[in-house]
Amino acid sequence: MEHPVFQFQNVSDDILHNMNFEISTNEKVILFGPSGAGKSSLLFLFNRLRDPKQGDINYYGKPVTEYEISQLRRKVGLLLQSPNLFPGTVLDNLKYGPSLCGEWNPDDAKKLLEYVQLPESYLNRNVDQLSGGEQQRVSLGRTLANSPDVLLLDEPTSALDYRTAEEIEEVLERLIEEHQLTMIMVTHDLKQAKRLGERGLFLMDGELKEDGDIESMLTEPETEELKEFIQD
Amino acid sequence: MEPEISNQSLLFLVIFVLVPLTLSYFYQLGMSKDILWSSIRGTVQLFAIGYILTFLFDLNPFMGIPLMLSIMIIIATFHAWNKGKELPHAFLVILLGLIIVEVSVLTLWLAFDMVAFTPSEVIPMSGMVIGNSMVAMGLALERMKSEFTENSGRLMAALSLGAKPSQASHLIVTKTLNAALIPNVDRLKTIGLVQLPGMMTGLILGGVAPVMAIKYQLVISLSIFSSVSLSAMFVTMAMYRYFFNKNDQLLENEEELRNQQK
Repeated sequence: MEHPVFQFQNVSDDILHNMNFEISTNEKVILFGPSGAGKSSLLFLFNRLRDPKQGDINYYGKPVTEYEISQLRRKVGLLLQSPNLFPGTVLDNLKYGPSLCGEWNPDDAKKLLEYVQLPESYLNRNVDQLSGGEQQRVSLGRTLANSPDVLLLDEPTSALDYRTAEEIEEVLERLIEEHQLTMIMVTHDLKQAKRLGERGLFLMDGELKEDGDIESMLTEPETEELKEFIQD
Repeated sequence: MEPEISNQSLLFLVIFVLVPLTLSYFYQLGMSKDILWSSIRGTVQLFAIGYILTFLFDLNPFMGIPLMLSIMIIIATFHAWNKGKELPHAFLVILLGLIIVEVSVLTLWLAFDMVAFTPSEVIPMSGMVIGNSMVAMGLALERMKSEFTENSGRLMAALSLGAKPSQASHLIVTKTLNAALIPNVDRLKTIGLVQLPGMMTGLILGGVAPVMAIKYQLVISLSIFSSVSLSAMFVTMAMYRYFFNKNDQLLENEEELRNQQK
């Protein structure tokens, strides 16, 4: 029997209460809910940027704590709201992750730029000279350089203008499809949630209130909390 | 004849205190009390240290020097510690750092015959080394704290890409060290051009020939440069690890830093 990618069993901490769910390979999951619901806190549990106080989190059937932490984080990539690029060139950023373990292949640079649809001439450009959208593309390329199996996205387009956000969204959609990635995304944008996600996890006050098909959740919410949230 | 300022002349220093006092009064800066207190405190401290030094200079160097250096290092440790009290083990790290810096510098001075092992030479010169190292450590701690706060996103990104805390902090360590070293590089570049350094001025006023005074000044300036670099490096390398927990996770606030100390 194939193990789920992630399995949460009675996971709790100061913010989250009793999280129980599984995420299967290639699933596209949206974490959504009001501010302070614990979405980002939950997201950071997947790659152990945080640890819960109680409960178990399994990655492919094995507790996340049994993986070498850097190895787990390489496999469970993260794209944050801001690009958070390192000072230097686009190339410096793209090779950062693989270089940490001596796995950088210079030929990958072109491929990564292609993935995020940036011209090759950008490779030696200083990241300070890039627009917000371009920086976010480089950030995505930097995450993909580690060849992750899972992509965690923490509101990756919320800091961008509408048009740029749409472009990034298209790049994301294509890459997730092409690379058969399992996606777990936090977003405030319900339209984006419908466009990119298949399954929704609705969080409120640190609790998982609803779990299901994102389309149906948004059109026919089961709980009062979700109804109110959608109306707001 | 040794140059001397008479006590009557010293009394006229009150005029120098009256200037900021008058400014504070007219512009309602509310600093009169502070100005008076710091002037009186400074005067008393200096006279007290004058008498203590006179006493120490008469002691056997093997007693007087370790005694005074220990006192200076402990006071400097408390002072620098104030800049990073919330960081675990900061007191011990600073204390150890200052001891290492002072012992290294003193060893070199004595080994190459730059300074004689007498309280009148070792104590004032060590005071300058310890004082500057104390400031460098305090600044490094403050700078490191603010860099960790400002760059928390980058640090999270680096960790999420598989970096170990030492690799993720590389940027912050570099910035902190740069900030600690740049003022010293600048000071060395303009030394003697903008103002005559304090020690050289003192020696010249004391009747020492300028070239001899310069030799002493070079010894102390380069010793300070080296000890400041070593101090900043030591405290930064020893402390950055405490911004992360044992699972390579970034601690994001003072509460988490303190909890780690327990």
